[in-house]
Amino acid sequence: MREAAKRIIPVPLLMSNAFAPTTSNKTGHWSPSQPRYQNKTAPCSVHCPCGQDIPRVELLAARRRFRDAWRLLLSENPFPGVCGRVCFHPCERGCNRGLFDAPVSIHALERFLDDEAWNNGYEMETPAVSSSGKRIAVIGSGPAGLAAAYFFSRLGHACDVFEVESHAGGLLRYGIPSYRLPLLALEREIKRIESLGVRIFCSYRVDADFLSQARQSYDALFIGCGNGRSKRLGIPGEELAVDGLCFLKQSMQNGSKSLEKAAGPLASPSTAAVIGGGNSAMDVARSLLRLGISPLIVYRRRAEDMPAFSDEIRRASAEGVQFIELSAPLSITAGQSGLTLRIQRMRTDGLGPDGRMRVAPIPGDTDLLQIDQIYAAIGADAAEPWMMPPPTADRLLLYHSVSLLNSEKTLPTVYGGDLVNAEESVADAIASGKEAAIVLDAYFKGGSACVAPAVERCRIGSGQGLSMELYMHGPRGQRSGRVVEFADLNAAYFDHSQAGRGEVIPPALSIGSFAEIEKTLDREEAVRQAERCFQCGLCNDCDNCRTFCPEVAVLIKADKGLQPDSAAAGWQRWIDADFCKGCGICVTECPRCAMVLEEPPI
Amino acid sequence: MMKVLEGSQAVAEAVRLARVKVVSAYPITPQTHIVEELARYCAEGSLDGRFICVESEHSAMASVIGSAAGGVRSFTASSSHGLAYMHEMLHWAAGARLPIVMVDVNRALGPGWNLWMDQSDSLSQRDTGWMQFYCADGQEALDTTLQAFRLAEMVHLPAMVNLDAFFLSHTYEPVEVPDAQTVDAFLPPYEPPFKMDQGHPLGLCGVAPPGVYMEMRRNMQMAMDSVPDLLDQIEDDFFIRFGRRYGSLETYRCADADVVVVTTGTASGTARVAVDQLREQGEKAGLLRLRLFRPFPSRAVRQALEKIEKAAVLDRNCSFGSGGIFANELKAALHGKGGTAVYSYISGLGGRDITVDLIKELYTKTRDADRPDSESVWLGLKEELMLR
Repeated sequence: MREAAKRIIPVPLLMSNAFAPTTSNKTGHWSPSQPRYQNKTAPCSVHCPCGQDIPRVELLAARRRFRDAWRLLLSENPFPGVCGRVCFHPCERGCNRGLFDAPVSIHALERFLDDEAWNNGYEMETPAVSSSGKRIAVIGSGPAGLAAAYFFSRLGHACDVFEVESHAGGLLRYGIPSYRLPLLALEREIKRIESLGVRIFCSYRVDADFLSQARQSYDALFIGCGNGRSKRLGIPGEELAVDGLCFLKQSMQNGSKSLEKAAGPLASPSTAAVIGGGNSAMDVARSLLRLGISPLIVYRRRAEDMPAFSDEIRRASAEGVQFIELSAPLSITAGQSGLTLRIQRMRTDGLGPDGRMRVAPIPGDTDLLQIDQIYAAIGADAAEPWMMPPPTADRLLLYHSVSLLNSEKTLPTVYGGDLVNAEESVADAIASGKEAAIVLDAYFKGGSACVAPAVERCRIGSGQGLSMELYMHGPRGQRSGRVVEFADLNAAYFDHSQAGRGEVIPPALSIGSFAEIEKTLDREEAVRQAERCFQCGLCNDCDNCRTFCPEVAVLIKADKGLQPDSAAAGWQRWIDADFCKGCGICVTECPRCAMVLEEPPI
Repeated sequence: MMKVLEGSQAVAEAVRLARVKVVSAYPITPQTHIVEELARYCAEGSLDGRFICVESEHSAMASVIGSAAGGVRSFTASSSHGLAYMHEMLHWAAGARLPIVMVDVNRALGPGWNLWMDQSDSLSQRDTGWMQFYCADGQEALDTTLQAFRLAEMVHLPAMVNLDAFFLSHTYEPVEVPDAQTVDAFLPPYEPPFKMDQGHPLGLCGVAPPGVYMEMRRNMQMAMDSVPDLLDQIEDDFFIRFGRRYGSLETYRCADADVVVVTTGTASGTARVAVDQLREQGEKAGLLRLRLFRPFPSRAVRQALEKIEKAAVLDRNCSFGSGGIFANELKAALHGKGGTAVYSYISGLGGRDITVDLIKELYTKTRDADRPDSESVWLGLKEELMLR
């Protein structure tokens, strides 16, 4: 036994092992198809009227590159602080994460980034463009006019803004109460626009004469005056109602301390009816609440048909605003102890051709409301005819949110903002200002024939939003316009997580003052929220492609000089066609649809 | 230390003692207890190895092929359909000369669906180039797993250790679990003759054209040929350290036997009782238990049966169209030697019990026969079902 243990038994081991790598065997020619890196378009950015590059903003924020994220916001929108507070964030409705758990808190993150920029004194980046020598007059300093001026300046055109009120800001200053948009947040953004060299002339009343003489000083006009004159109720006794817009304006001018005066002729009304269902009606009602008055919103349709943003309706209701729906005002009469509002009860009457529920009076069903004060907030129109594009002009070119009057008799004039925009919102007004800048700049460069192609080139995917980065030939232009859908994602790589918003002061406290009711996210929470972004269609260096490639055909090199769109954090990847067999695993395992598998032409 | 363990746990203990670095497996009844135990060891850190979860047995084998090619000791376990699904990769592991050790828990293949003991799964893999052992009890399962690693790493061939479903895998028995230090001395760290190494790139298992392929296959056969002697050497060392040895086969009361019952696995314990009872009745019965099936221990079989008139082989398997596989192997090993007549019986398929009475019946039939039937005889059939 011992001897056997010592006996050496040979075990042969002939193997086909080569002490050289197999790289000489270029198997890539077997491939029927080839993967390629291809960034695509995220649905959030398609839904954003301003075409913000949201997946990239969130990527930078998640990596704590707050300044870069903020600058990226500024490249598409001069008002991130305003929009981070008052925008109705259609982006979040488009967010693919909504089909997974809850949309990314894009709105709260925009607000956070602007607060972070303010707290840390971040400075805006200005594109290096030489002066064009063109001078543009902007009429109206609301979001459309200021956005137009901002983008005109960044394109090298000198800009003067004319504002009839004593301060710039338009609706942002006079139409939105400070509990939604504090003055400081607005003023710092206006200052930033002025720092570009934009001159704002306040208390300057523009009239038809001014426009006819502008030719001597300016090369073009932008008119964005907004809806300055409230619509009339058109009922007997309407003069007894206070104009809602005036009330809001006075309340802003006077400051909350002397608001009683703004509230109307009665020294201290305790009940008030607000007629209307738009955002202004909500603003009036919620401002009244803060003055200790119990407001009642009277609306002729159903609450769900109100044009106000659902968040605003929800918050108004939570704060204690009462709603009377399906009630149209018939008349207002003054009596000994206040006002009497006679209302006509309405009923639904089937869907109209526009898809909206129609209403019709219920014959004989009227009611009387005894009330101290009545506010009318049923919408507004242009204050003067020249603010609107001439209806019969034959040289009027219509775009999504602006109209260009290209007449030999007048200066090239762009009409923008709420007066020509189908959608009336702050973000849409800003988008209109941006479109105006693109339209005019293209017009200056190549005449009216160049405008439409230039606008098309800036479009984000299938949406209406335009990107200034695309207009300026930035790296975002390398992306495919294909919009990434949820089904395009590999959701197996995502964990469920909670969406977070800034802390909201509870209604019981919030109605005690005009202080801003929503707080900003703290930094760690902001990073967590930004990390929730799927980065639909945008490579974020997760490296799944390289990890899963069975052929080691995904190559990578560090390249710090790369444009952000080529690779998120300065890595360049490419497919080694010598070895890629076209299995498509990289494309399948890409969580965010930033690759594509193609059959090369034979 | 003596512990009361399931056969599955005895295997897991052996794998832990072997300091395996990579375990990759996909669960399948009745193998699951083994890999659950190993996953727990890896998770708690009592085994300093990586448990790779995979989506299939094909990938499990591919994973351990990768890790073994990377030069580390690797283990997997499977059963039945899972083993069948590995088939292509089994050839690969053997052709690549990788010393992977796998435990297969012998289970029938469907349909009809059957979770129970049957040797069809491992015997279907007979020609893949894997060594095959069949264990009789929990202690042997532990010991054979340890020996298999050492043997596989010496001959550069993978080894499959087979356990009867439930009869062994799920039965608790006292098992002596050796201490780690002694096992380390018996089974030193694996030193591969070549390995995948990023620092020294090489291509493994590339194209082997007609000019070299045949020699490579001849090499594998020569490696198999070296196994019986090497197993002897390894068992000598094992015996010195642990006091147990098994051999490639085991004989019991064969010296003066007229009829030797040939069994594998747990049926051997039953057969031993039957042989004892037959001996008490004055019958000259003996028992031969095959432990090693690949390579087939022909020399040892011929020696053991040299003076035996009749060998009655009990197969828990059937090669359809031929018969009991062990009986056929035995006939091939004895071919030309004259003396021993091989009687082939099939029973105990799909988990059917093999009883002492059945072994006695097998013995009596063989004793009374003049010469073997040309086909395998099936024992324990329910005639009422056969009429359909």
